[in-house]
Amino acid sequence: MPIYKAIIENKEIVKIIYALIIVFICFLITLKAHRLFRLSFHSGIRYFRNAFFFYGLGFAARYFLKFISADYFLINPLFEFFLVMAGFFLLYSLLWKRIDSHNPRSSLLNRRIGIFYLMAIIIILLDYVWNVPYFMYSAQIIIFLFASIISYSNYKKDNYKNKFSRFYFIAMVLGLFAWILNALAAVFFSWNQMVLINIYLLNAIFFLLFLYGVVKVTKT
Amino acid sequence: MVKKRERLEVIKDILKSIREKRNIKPTRLIYASNLSPKMFKEYVDELTGKQFLKEEIDKDGKKTFSLTSKGQEFLEQYRVIENFIENFGL
Repeated sequence: MPIYKAIIENKEIVKIIYALIIVFICFLITLKAHRLFRLSFHSGIRYFRNAFFFYGLGFAARYFLKFISADYFLINPLFEFFLVMAGFFLLYSLLWKRIDSHNPRSSLLNRRIGIFYLMAIIIILLDYVWNVPYFMYSAQIIIFLFASIISYSNYKKDNYKNKFSRFYFIAMVLGLFAWILNALAAVFFSWNQMVLINIYLLNAIFFLLFLYGVVKVTKT
Repeated sequence: MVKKRERLEVIKDILKSIREKRNIKPTRLIYASNLSPKMFKEYVDELTGKQFLKEEIDKDGKKTFSLTSKGQEFLEQYRVIENFIENFGL
């Protein structure tokens, strides 16, 4: 297809534009969620904000750090760490009420989040030692599988009537699908360029859906 | 059984009472917020600490509460916050 050919031929520029868009979306979501957190001190909003803050950091590290440092062994673990932590924060924003009713002083440095940091570091170390990204992919697939189940149960709880619950569920399934495709691309398709473009597209839709939801809800 | 009020709803009720009555006295605010004195103190301490409301002394030397600009902003944004939490399942 000519569009795929054009993208592949200009992949470096496309990657930078893609990263700029994702980082910008994450920045907007983080800012809007932070504004609401500053007023409500609500833990769920706080973890949701942290998730997109870490997604933004991850994409910025992956695509922009290479202009400062070309060290793949520094950039890739950082990218993986931020992405795994973002996934944990997103999942925890849905779960925290069932696990932890108290509001910790810091949402970045507390005992429960410390467990996530430890798990993220273990995942990165395993990938680093074996020089594969499989542990991160497995972790993300598990995280998004749980998040999809929880968001479906929220959608069901609203008698399938809440448009936003449906959007949230669709976004989570897209996220899950993108990570499964990522794993398949690594294991079976030897990083086929066309498959990678589709993954980028799915990721962009995932972030755009969240931005749409956040802008729509915060619009007064 | 009556549903337990969520923390944010309690805060909204306290701040709304202050906005409606302006410099409201503690006894009237306890009554209006429908909380036990112990819970009321916890909430008022938290809201004062976070600068949503401030304590003042009126001309009779009695303690009153009034809303700060941050408390005002909370009330204006309450519906948005509530929708955000509900729609994203937080």
